Amino acid sequence: MQYLAKSLVQALVLLCALGGAQQAQAYDHAAITDAACGDAASSAEAARLIVTGAGDATADDLAWARSMVTATLERTLACSTGRPPVLSLRNRAAYDTAAAMLTLLAAPEPDARTAALRTLSRKPEQTPAAVLDRATAAERDPKLKAALAEFAQLADLGSPDLARRGRAISHLADAPSTRVATQLATLRADPAYVADAGFRTTVEAAITRVDRWMLVGQVLSMLYNGLSFASILFMSAVGLAVIFGLMGVINLAQGEFIMMGAYGTFLVQQGLRAVAPGLVEWYLPIAIIPVFLVTAGIGVLLEVGLIRHLYKRPLMSLLATWAVSLFLVNLVRVVFGTQNLQFDTPFYVRGGIAVVGDFIITWNRLFAIGFAGLSLAGTWLLLRRTPFGLNVRAVTQNRDMAACVGIATRRVDMLAFGLGSGLAGLAGLALSPLYNVNPQMGTNFVIDSFMVVVLGGVAALEGTVLAALGIGQLNVLVEPFYGAVAAKVIVLLLTIAFLQWRPEGLFALQGRRR
Amino acid sequence: MNRLFNDRLFTTVLALLAIGVVVLVAMPGAISPYMVNATGQLAAFALLAVSLDLIWGYAGVLSLGHGLYFALGGYVVAMHLLKHAMAVTGKVPDFMQFMGWSEFPFYWSGFEHFGYAAVMAVVLTILLAGACGYVSFRSRVGGVYFSIITQAFVYVAMLLMFRNDTGFGGNNGMTGFSVVFGFDMADPAVTRGLAAVSLLVLVVALVGCRSLVTSRFGRLVIACRDDEARLRSLGYGTLPIKLGVWCLSAVLAAIAGFLYVPQVGIINPRLLSPDVSLEIAVWVAIGGRGALSGAVIGAILVNGVKFWLSSRAPELWPFILSGLVVLVVLVFPNGLLDLGRWRPRLIATPSVVKRT
Repeated sequence: MQYLAKSLVQALVLLCALGGAQQAQAYDHAAITDAACGDAASSAEAARLIVTGAGDATADDLAWARSMVTATLERTLACSTGRPPVLSLRNRAAYDTAAAMLTLLAAPEPDARTAALRTLSRKPEQTPAAVLDRATAAERDPKLKAALAEFAQLADLGSPDLARRGRAISHLADAPSTRVATQLATLRADPAYVADAGFRTTVEAAITRVDRWMLVGQVLSMLYNGLSFASILFMSAVGLAVIFGLMGVINLAQGEFIMMGAYGTFLVQQGLRAVAPGLVEWYLPIAIIPVFLVTAGIGVLLEVGLIRHLYKRPLMSLLATWAVSLFLVNLVRVVFGTQNLQFDTPFYVRGGIAVVGDFIITWNRLFAIGFAGLSLAGTWLLLRRTPFGLNVRAVTQNRDMAACVGIATRRVDMLAFGLGSGLAGLAGLALSPLYNVNPQMGTNFVIDSFMVVVLGGVAALEGTVLAALGIGQLNVLVEPFYGAVAAKVIVLLLTIAFLQWRPEGLFALQGRRR
Repeated sequence: MNRLFNDRLFTTVLALLAIGVVVLVAMPGAISPYMVNATGQLAAFALLAVSLDLIWGYAGVLSLGHGLYFALGGYVVAMHLLKHAMAVTGKVPDFMQFMGWSEFPFYWSGFEHFGYAAVMAVVLTILLAGACGYVSFRSRVGGVYFSIITQAFVYVAMLLMFRNDTGFGGNNGMTGFSVVFGFDMADPAVTRGLAAVSLLVLVVALVGCRSLVTSRFGRLVIACRDDEARLRSLGYGTLPIKLGVWCLSAVLAAIAGFLYVPQVGIINPRLLSPDVSLEIAVWVAIGGRGALSGAVIGAILVNGVKFWLSSRAPELWPFILSGLVVLVVLVFPNGLLDLGRWRPRLIATPSVVKRT
């Protein structure tokens, strides 16, 4: 740190000295023109003079220099010899650079300045600091200003002045990313790295710092991805858990309710496009209520028509719900086709904000997480704070006793099945900006959701939340190291191992074991 | 003997299957090669259904992952056939060319011997099923939980097999079985032989299972299904009973796969998809669980319709299948076996429907 501060002061002093030296310089029009008209060496000298003077030249001088350089490049420069000078290949490059610099400083159109900056970026170290400072100070276009700042750092990084390089390195290390890491790594091959111990320490310190923040970013983005996966898992599993706890029925069609939720969202989007194109951007929030109602309604129909007759035969209900899922998948396939649906991505689920390293909080994942959080809160309130929830919990704990005290258990079953299906439909809505939506999508989630229910138990919402978080995070944590398949294998084995310890999951109902 | 054959339906089914064997062996030209092949495949499916009926219908444990053992048998026989074909014709299997391998992975050694492959199929099945069954039954995981876990197992196995680097053909699976026991697979006599062997194995398995379920051990198995807690309180350990039936059932499924793959000529991980395993349960449910003849009838009927539809209107099949399941579940709780007992409700007194 001390070293850095010292080199910073040194650099400042040096800059002032340079600035002072350049103050004296002004364009000597005649001399420069003469030099440009001379042989290759003096022509190069003319270009150098223009470049070094550009930082302090008056606006008039800049305009003159620009026209003169352009004239030289276009071979229209009026020389005393009578014919324009011929530029050598090397000098042509030098004049090109000078022209770009002058354009950057003097051109009124932003497009021209952007193009000039692009030309200069090819060899950033050729641009003097004074030119850059002046261009940065004068720049009004925010995009171009950011590009200039980045360019300035690059230029400093390659500058022969070690103090300036040190400053640029620590600047770079302030905003770690993969690109910065590779930029810093290339500095190890720099001659100064071997020659100068101070420079070496600066580079190494910067690399360590960047690596540390990159690691933090990686861990955070893993946790973030795990959280978003867990949210989807939670939303599909919570309905499953309520239904299973209540009636001992595993709904193998739960994945298809997710799929129908996503298709319902798509229909809402298409409907809005036809009826109210101005609202298309808002199809996600608008779809919440219709999607919930429709999937819950289908769930209620399923319960009344089929599941109701099978409470005493839970194994048969597996087959029956599988048949329903087969039917729904093929129905959707016939109606919509097998291809992925094309969803709009509204502005509020597009992009994200970079936080640290390569960790970006993407809005689409945040949408899913927030949505799951809201559903959790809603479900919790419903189950804990309403008469309906009280009935659900009573029937879950002891169906016969609940019936004895006058709870309409059939009605509770029906409504709870509708609730579970509706939540699955909302899961489909939440994941439509994240995953591919096609008739097969349900099968990808359904087995993971089962594992969540088995692991979490059915007695409390907390079990589902914890199990979803655990399985979601584990999947995402294992995946980069051993692949997606190994992640699934590990999750399955851990779940089975866990069941050895607690056969009815994290939160089991108290009572006699059946 | 009387105990074995006192069920008229069972005896009829057995007799029909035995006649099928005789026809296949004695009358070479009687059935077209396509039908012969279909018969053989149906026999393998029927054996698979019997294996599931044993564990579901008699022990009350529904496996939604029996495709795992079926595919295990299939993969083992495919490995044998590929190595055998390479030894006879010198042709390198497709999947090795695809992966750029010049020799088999080490775990393929020995599979050129049929005896070794057959023993491996049984041993591996017992190891896998034993481990899976032991951890589940020991912690008394049963009912829907067990079904879900078996389904997760088969799903994970499918994901594993879809990988190309496991050395089992990856997502293309294994195909190109040209020789069996030195005979050309394309020969109609070989097709007939395979079909006859499959039917014969089915007959033997049916008689064996029938003698098992009517034995003292069979009584215990059924008691386990009806009231496990009571059986335990009477002093029986239910773990060995369930584990025994479970392993036997898995081995039968593996044998079915062992017979099925040479006849169909290909194996790939799609056999491991959870839907396939669920479909096995559907055959048994439609035929009637808790009766070995019901499983055979269900498997042959459902797959017969499927074969027939596959050339005419394959897109209709899922709708028909799901409709059949709903019909069976709502109207005939014991499958087609209920047809014999079924009377319209308005006329007859309510029949006693066994609910398990």
